[in-house]
Amino acid sequence: MICYLCLTSIKEDTTWSNFLNPQYRTICDHCEEKLDKITHPHCQKCMKPTDNEKCGDCLRWEQHFGEDPLGRNVSIYTYNDYMKDLIARFKYRGDYEMINAWKKSVRTSFNEQFNNQDLLVVPIPLGEDRYTIRQFNQAEAIASLLNEPIHQLLTRQDGQKQSKKSRRERVFSNNPFQLKEQPPESILLVDDIYTTGTTIRQAASLLKEAGAEHVQSLTLIRS
Amino acid sequence: MTTTPPLIEDLARKFSTKLLLKHELNLSEHRFQYLIDQNYLQEVDGIRSTLNFHECNRCFNKNQSLFGKIPQHARAPITYCKKCIQMGRVSTKESLYRWTGTHPMRHKVMNPLKWKGILTPLQEKASQKMVEAVNNQSKLLIYAVCGAGKTEMLYAGIQEAIKQNKRVCVATPRADVVRELAPRLRRDFPTIHSSALYGGSTERDQNNHLVIATTHQLLRYENSFDLMIVDEVDAFPYHRDKTLPKAVTRASKPNSTQIYLTATPRRSHKLQIATKQIPTVSIPSRYHGHPIPTPTFQAVLRLNDKLEKGVLPPKITQWIKEKQTTNRRFLLFAPTIQLAEKLAEKLNMPYVHAESPDREYLIKQFRARAFQSLITTTILERGVTFPSIDVAVIQADHHVFDEAALIQIAGRAGRSASDPTGDVTFFYEYKTNAMIQARNYTILKNKEAKRCNI
Ligand SMILES: [Zn+2]
Ligand SMILES: [Zn+2]
Ligand SMILES: [Zn+2]
Repeated sequence: MICYLCLTSIKEDTTWSNFLNPQYRTICDHCEEKLDKITHPHCQKCMKPTDNEKCGDCLRWEQHFGEDPLGRNVSIYTYNDYMKDLIARFKYRGDYEMINAWKKSVRTSFNEQFNNQDLLVVPIPLGEDRYTIRQFNQAEAIASLLNEPIHQLLTRQDGQKQSKKSRRERVFSNNPFQLKEQPPESILLVDDIYTTGTTIRQAASLLKEAGAEHVQSLTLIRS
Repeated sequence: MTTTPPLIEDLARKFSTKLLLKHELNLSEHRFQYLIDQNYLQEVDGIRSTLNFHECNRCFNKNQSLFGKIPQHARAPITYCKKCIQMGRVSTKESLYRWTGTHPMRHKVMNPLKWKGILTPLQEKASQKMVEAVNNQSKLLIYAVCGAGKTEMLYAGIQEAIKQNKRVCVATPRADVVRELAPRLRRDFPTIHSSALYGGSTERDQNNHLVIATTHQLLRYENSFDLMIVDEVDAFPYHRDKTLPKAVTRASKPNSTQIYLTATPRRSHKLQIATKQIPTVSIPSRYHGHPIPTPTFQAVLRLNDKLEKGVLPPKITQWIKEKQTTNRRFLLFAPTIQLAEKLAEKLNMPYVHAESPDREYLIKQFRARAFQSLITTTILERGVTFPSIDVAVIQADHHVFDEAALIQIAGRAGRSASDPTGDVTFFYEYKTNAMIQARNYTILKNKEAKRCNI
C-alpha cells in the first residue's frame, strides 16, 4: 500500500485485531502528523477557532438572514501550510486520488456527526469551465468517500466575478446555483473548504426557499 | 472566420524542442487549433497504455502504483501520472505537444566569456579535456573534490560550444544549486541569453544559449541540447531515480557532448571509471592548493541516549563554545529534522531543513553573516558553499550519513583561499564504515594532490 499523499509505501502491521479484517491504510504516519485536525475550542456552528459558543462570523450571518439557512457546518482539518500545498496539488494539479488519504477521517466524522439522520448528500457543483480543466468535482470526490448515495441536486452557472462586491451584495444578488428538482426535508451539503461560508449559504438558502427544512454541511477544511 | 497568422518565429522560440501540456502552451483555443491544423504542433499521447500497463511519456514512470484514475460519468476513467503531477497533469486525456515547425535561430556570440581569472594547472587539464569533448561530441566524467573550482573548469568548454552556436545545459539534481550557479554563470557570460529553471522559478527558456536547470525540469525537453553538463550526478534524487538519466538523454541531441561532474562517485560510476568505460579526468586538489580538512573523530559515550533525553554532552557544548569565543562561523549537521529542531531550541540557533519555508532566506542570511551558526539537516551537505566555516556532525554514525554525505559535509570547510583550513568534527557513539571511508577519502585525495602538485 502506498500513502496517497507522499506516494511512499506504508508498512502494513498485521496484528490479530486486523488480521481477519485488514484495514488498508491510505496515509502514512508522517503525513498524518502534518495534518491539523480541528480539536481546539471552536464555534459550535461553523468550527472556526473561538472560545465563545458562536463566532463573530456566524453572529453576523444570523443578523444578515434573520434565520441562518445553514444549520451547522462540520469541518475536519485546519487550512495549515501543509494543507494548502495539498489542496493546490489536489485541485489545481488535479491529483484526484489524494482524496483516499482522507477516507477514514471523513467517514469517521460523518458517522459521528450525522449518523442515523435521514439526509441527502449533495455536493456543491463546479462550474463548467473548471470542470473541463479538472475533469472532476472536488466536492463530489469528497462526498464519494461517504459510501452514501450522492444526489446532484444543484447546478452552477457562475456569473460575474464576485470579488468586487460586498458580502451582503454577493449573497443576495446572482446566486450561482440552480435547483434541478424539489429538495427533500434534510440535506447535507459537501464541499472541500469552508472559508467565509458564503458559497454554502448560497446553496442552503436556495434549498430552503424551495422547501428544505434542514440544511447542514460537511467540509474537509475550515480555513 | 479569418485567421491572423500567429507569429510563428516567436512561437518556435517558445515551443521548439519541448514537450508541453496544452495549458503550458498558453494559447487561445483558436490559435491552438490553427497550429494543429497547419502541422506546427503535433499531439503526443501523455500516457502510453497497453492492456492496463501504463507508461508516462513525459517522466518515463512505469511504476503502476504511481498512476491514478479519475472516474468519469458514463465513460471509461481517465488515467493520470502522479509521479510528475507537480509539473501539471499528464493523462490519457491530457496530451503533450511537440513543435514540428521550423527550428528557431539564435544570434551568434563570438566571445561570450568575460571571466578573467586564471586556472590552476589541474583545472586547466580538465578544462582542455572538456573542450576536446565539445569538439568530438563525446563523454567526459570530471571527478573533482569539493572545492576544486569545477564551475571555472567548465567555462572554456561552454564558451567553445556557444561560439559554435550550440545550445548548452547545466543540469543539477538540486534547486539550491541552480540558484547558486545561475548568477555566477550570468556574471561571467554576460552577453548570452540564459534561463534558470527549477520548480517555482518564473523564468522562461526561449531557445536560449544556456539553460541552468534541475534535472527534473529536463522532463519538458527533447533533442534540445548540444552540450549537456550534469553536475553532482551522485546526488539525490538523480542517482536513485532511474527516470532522470533518461530525461537527460532525451533532452540532449543525438550527437551531443555529455559532461558529468562528481566529487563522490557512486558504485556504478566508480565501476565505469575503473573499467575505462567513460573517459575521466580526476582533480584531487582544491583550487587554492591546500589540503582538504581531515575529519576529527570524537566518540561520545551514550550519545544517542543523551540526545534522546535532550542532554547535550560536554564534548559538543565545548566544541560550540570554542567556536563562539574564537568567533568562528560554523554549521551543525543533524541527521533528522526532529533533532535539528531540538538542538535549535536548546542552543537558540536558527535551523533549516528540506521543508523549511524560509530556507532560501536563512541560507542567504547565513551567507551575509547575519548570524554566526546554522543548524541543518543533510540539505546543506552539498552545492551550497560558505567561504569560511567549521563543521560538526552530530550523530555521524546515523544511517543518513553515508560515505558520500560525510565527504560532502567535510567538503564544506576550508573553501576560501584566505582561510583554507577548517575544523571538521564527527561526534558519534559507534564508529561506522561510512565515517572511516570518508576519512580515508580525504587522506587519499590529499596524497594524490601532493603527487600532482610536485
Ligand atoms: Zn505519506
Ligand atoms: Zn462560526
Ligand atoms: Zn509522469
